[in-house]
Amino acid sequence: MKKRVFHYTIILVVVIIINFFIPRLLPGTPLKSIVGENPGDLTAAEKMGILEAYHLNEPMYKQFGYYLKELFTLNWGNSYAKRQPISELIRSRLGWTLLLAGCSTLLSTIIGTCLGAVSALRRKKRKDVPVVLATTVVSSIPSFWIAIILLAVFGVKLRWFPIYGAYDMWESYTGLARAADILKHLALPLFTLVISSLMAFFSTSRYSTLRVMEEDYVKMARLRGITGSRVTFCYVFRNALIPVFTLFMMDVGYMLGGSVLVETVFSYPGLGTLMKEAVMARDYPLMQYTFLMSSVVTIAALFLSDILYHRIDPRVEVNGNE
Amino acid sequence: MSKHMTRIGAVILTLMVLLAVFAPVLSPHNPYASSTATYQLPSLEHPLGTNDIGQDILSEVIYGARTSLAIGFFSAAISLTIGTVLGLLSGWYGGWLDRLIAKLTAFMLTVPYLPTVIIISAFTKHSIYSTSLVLGIMSWAGTTRIVRTQTMAIREKDYIQTIRAMGASDYYIFSHHVIRELTPWLMYQFAGRVKSGILSESSLSFLGLGSTTQKSWGTMIYYAQEKNALLTGSWLWWIVPPGLCIILVSCALIMISYGFEEKTDRRLSR
Repeated sequence: MKKRVFHYTIILVVVIIINFFIPRLLPGTPLKSIVGENPGDLTAAEKMGILEAYHLNEPMYKQFGYYLKELFTLNWGNSYAKRQPISELIRSRLGWTLLLAGCSTLLSTIIGTCLGAVSALRRKKRKDVPVVLATTVVSSIPSFWIAIILLAVFGVKLRWFPIYGAYDMWESYTGLARAADILKHLALPLFTLVISSLMAFFSTSRYSTLRVMEEDYVKMARLRGITGSRVTFCYVFRNALIPVFTLFMMDVGYMLGGSVLVETVFSYPGLGTLMKEAVMARDYPLMQYTFLMSSVVTIAALFLSDILYHRIDPRVEVNGNE
Repeated sequence: MSKHMTRIGAVILTLMVLLAVFAPVLSPHNPYASSTATYQLPSLEHPLGTNDIGQDILSEVIYGARTSLAIGFFSAAISLTIGTVLGLLSGWYGGWLDRLIAKLTAFMLTVPYLPTVIIISAFTKHSIYSTSLVLGIMSWAGTTRIVRTQTMAIREKDYIQTIRAMGASDYYIFSHHVIRELTPWLMYQFAGRVKSGILSESSLSFLGLGSTTQKSWGTMIYYAQEKNALLTGSWLWWIVPPGLCIILVSCALIMISYGFEEKTDRRLSR
């Protein structure tokens, strides 16, 4: 446990340090980073003012001190393009991303794992080709392309689902009507993310179920006369789930990345769209903090699932010496 | 079964490479030449219509193969080189070097991939080389893990022990034996990395972080989306074809990797 905490703390610290250095090490003057592409339009006094405001005329170690202080007091400065406090912007967006990424991780894990296990149990010899082919094609489709096609067909053409945002901006629903409205807006982005990460779960669960079914202890259990369904649930699935859980841990990070693309297509007001808007506007401070935020969320999610890991597989030593 | 798959994949990939190489001969128009004939519907003259500045979309798709394949291959080469060297050092020498590399690998696997790539790309130039470099540097960790485990197994093999005892240098053993043993693994990794390189490039381009001077499938979809192709119905010939190309290349690479996967498995069980 201590070791895990230490490991993730180190990673968090490194991310914070990298976040400080990325804009400073990469090419381009800091002025250009803050103001945009044309720092030449400013007068010398204006330039000095900006350097002063961002402490850029002081030595590096002092800048780092200011950075840490701002970071921990949540005083993250203003977004240059949106002219709003960054912490406020991120707070209003984070919930939507967590809703979208959380639901899609959960759904794709459950659906993918069940489908994979069922297809492994029902496998007939040499009938693998359609399954493998389908997996290959589905896992080749870029998520943003699925999103666009779904949007074009079900949003624009059939008008079954709204094509923009996370809730209806022109109506103020309350209670159940609001929940229904949010679900309606969530449907297409959620469906896209589920399709695009479903296949990883499907093939992992299928492969690991097939492997476990061949194990001696499963055969032994059958010989001992334990009923089929009991063997399936208590012997096969319990062990087949371990690689699936590892994948689940990796998927959390993937979801946050994938949500940048999918949120962009649906203009879903999450962290991903904010990052994309920041990148488009070359709004460097906002970019830095959206990046930091998504890293922190990823690391936190990985840490949580790491701790949960030993509940599923008691053989993994979490508490002490590995 | 996987033999057929590998063959089909290889044929598709070869066709795509030929398309990229002979793009100037095959494409009906110059994809960079804009004209006043904007937003044309598909016709004999322009089989997939024209875009917002009057460029022929079919020619754009054909030229796009160049950027996508180039970035796929370059980024995979960079990622595989870093991954293999670190994995070899880590698995062969062990000790503090192994621990250091293991820490680095764990770190790279924890940091969210796409957000990091987006941020770095936002600060760098968007050329084929810089994009490949960024993608390569961010994606070696998986290869390192596999190469490390395999190297540790190879190191313990009897014939390696024998030639070491005979005084063969580490470099000789690496270049003559270890690499040979690792080849199926590396090929499997390479096919997978090219595929993810192409998908990552298209994602970056779709976010507007692609090359500004080179046609790429992701960039095409980005511009189509910006010009509201969805609302006008032109997405059918503007967004669908480049997407299908990405899917086709990616499928081909996955099919090829099945062949290598089988080879690694057989070696594993032997």
